[in-house]
Amino acid sequence: MRRTDGELILLWMLPALAIIWLAVFLLFPGFVQPMSPTMSAEEVAAFYRDPENLPRIRYSMIVFNWFSVGLIPLLALIVMQIRRMAHRTPIFSYSIIACAAGGPTIFLLANLFWLLAAFRPERDPELTLLLNDLAWVTFASQVGFLIAQSVILALAIYLDRQARPVFEPWVAHFNLLVAAAMVPASFVGLAMEGPIAWDGLLTFWVRNIAVGLWIAVMGVVLGQAIYRQRDAEGVAA
Amino acid sequence: MSASATGALPEEPPGSLLHRIAWHWRYDPKRELWIAWWTMLVFYQLFGLLFFVVTRTQPPPQPWWEPTRVAQWFDDHHYGLLIGFAFVFIISGMTALMNALIAYSMRRMSVSRAFAYSYLVIYALSTLPGMLLLGIALTVGAMRPDRDPELIRWIYDFAFMTFDGTMGVFLVGSLVWMVAILLDENRVLPKWFAYLSLCNALTEVVVAPAWIFKSGVFAWNGAISYWLNVGVFVTYTTVFLTLLRRMILREDFGTGPLPDLSTDEAPEPSGSVRAAG
Amino acid sequence: MTKVANAQPRPRFVPGQPDMWAFVLFEALVFTGYFIVYIIRRTQSPDLFLQSQAHLDLRVGVFNTLVLLASSWSVARCVQAARERSFRAALTNAFLTMLFGFLFLVSKVLEWATEIEEGFGFTTNEFFSFYYFLTAIHFLHLLIGFVVLAIGIYQLWSPARRSQEMIETCATYWHTIDFLWVLIFALLYVMR
Repeated sequence: MRRTDGELILLWMLPALAIIWLAVFLLFPGFVQPMSPTMSAEEVAAFYRDPENLPRIRYSMIVFNWFSVGLIPLLALIVMQIRRMAHRTPIFSYSIIACAAGGPTIFLLANLFWLLAAFRPERDPELTLLLNDLAWVTFASQVGFLIAQSVILALAIYLDRQARPVFEPWVAHFNLLVAAAMVPASFVGLAMEGPIAWDGLLTFWVRNIAVGLWIAVMGVVLGQAIYRQRDAEGVAA
Repeated sequence: MSASATGALPEEPPGSLLHRIAWHWRYDPKRELWIAWWTMLVFYQLFGLLFFVVTRTQPPPQPWWEPTRVAQWFDDHHYGLLIGFAFVFIISGMTALMNALIAYSMRRMSVSRAFAYSYLVIYALSTLPGMLLLGIALTVGAMRPDRDPELIRWIYDFAFMTFDGTMGVFLVGSLVWMVAILLDENRVLPKWFAYLSLCNALTEVVVAPAWIFKSGVFAWNGAISYWLNVGVFVTYTTVFLTLLRRMILREDFGTGPLPDLSTDEAPEPSGSVRAAG
Repeated sequence: MTKVANAQPRPRFVPGQPDMWAFVLFEALVFTGYFIVYIIRRTQSPDLFLQSQAHLDLRVGVFNTLVLLASSWSVARCVQAARERSFRAALTNAFLTMLFGFLFLVSKVLEWATEIEEGFGFTTNEFFSFYYFLTAIHFLHLLIGFVVLAIGIYQLWSPARRSQEMIETCATYWHTIDFLWVLIFALLYVMR
């Protein structure tokens, strides 16, 4: 019998993580009303130097830093479920492992740039602007692994041909939609204003809501799959 | 689950390309491997196109340029950079499937699974310095043409050095694959390919002087640190694409040595059918 | 299950694994590339190269070459002894090869130290960049050679192994590094 001890603990870490992330998202002053790329160097420097903003920036980013890799257990649990699918090879589970190694690391990088920008706000505004740009562009444009993990998961589900598939087909369709929703964010460099800019409708709101939805939906269906698995194995035992 | 538990494939029906692809999607037990392999092929084509033609960041420009000349370069390449790297970001996740296929080759070998997992994680991480940081840095550089040229040149250095100068990750990965192949008794990949991996690893070591020299043959675009290295890399990539294709064709989903391609008899099912995972 | 024969009788065109010869060929190609670049750059600034070369000690170069040639001799004797199944002699020769290799390493490091002390480093001028680069990449191959020799010794040690093909493969690699050194010696030290 496959060992599933502890999976429930990892699973229930997810809502805790989600709450922390949401809190931190609201705490960082540059998110709720996203900072605009059109801000000049002085405005950006002023943002970081503002004594009301600075502690919020630092603390929110520090906490983001701790939990940026918090998604990895979720991805690992998904890998465990993919292994239960009717596939011939572990190609799909390996691919998700690769996404797990790549994706959160990039988020950590964006986080690092923000922390650096906030570390010495008294520096030359041009330098703060540069660090701020690096942070925002990294955060906004690095959707490659998110797209990949959704597409690969969808493929895995479509190819899971058994009587009782691990995930229902709608989960696959949902993942493809999420992947599509992230594509515009890569074009963040092309515009300083409008829906594609890093504070724009598509790049910021649609993309981040898609990520949030993905975490929520996958968390739920994953939970269902795990509980179903435990019931089935409980019966067998 | 499909009844064809062995590598013995029912005959592929003739017909249009779409028809055949649909057939493989439905019936081919090796479809996961083929999905990964085609992803690899398409990715490298796109990579070449995006880096050499659209963004024109390869071959790299000169390391010794003055800041104003560098700013000029950004101007000339403005749209190429922004659009090209947007596409690079979108396709960057394809590397996950590619690395999964190579990890799978090690799993099929008689060596410990540790090799497959090591390689997988190493190469997943390597996309960051090896491709994405370059894209991020150049995108940031191109976004604000009115930035101080000194800062623009810093971005330029950051981009090209992270791309050309961080070969250590690929070095270790190549060595992991090499050792796995040399120890393998299942003949998944030929031994000469292991030695080619060593060659590739050594030419990556040779890129290290790029951190020191701004011009000449050891600079990031120099004859030795760049051109020879790229020549070896392109050869290496072409070779392993071909070898992986042969591996998939030979695959019998067993645990013993992989049969050769030219055998007339259908490969026997070896042992019990291994469940995925 | 049909056992795929590893030890199929097949005509032996080359000693050792043919795969190793593929590697030798490829490495030779890459090194040829390096040598061609060196020669081209040399013809572009002949005076600089000539003057810089004068700072290299030819005697040390000759010593290094002789040491490696001796090591090739001992590794060839090792293969011969293994063929005649006198494995103690083979082992002795293998260790002797290692000793010569080690002698080369020490001599090279001392040479580098001396050059650096005299003020000629990696970045001093283009000739010295090539000098350090070529000798360093060769040094790296030599270090790998020690690993290869160790594998050969491991094979020779126990009667359960002792694959002749494996020993010949290791020897092939060792001969290659000797060959490459002779070329490097000729280019850097002799060709004036």
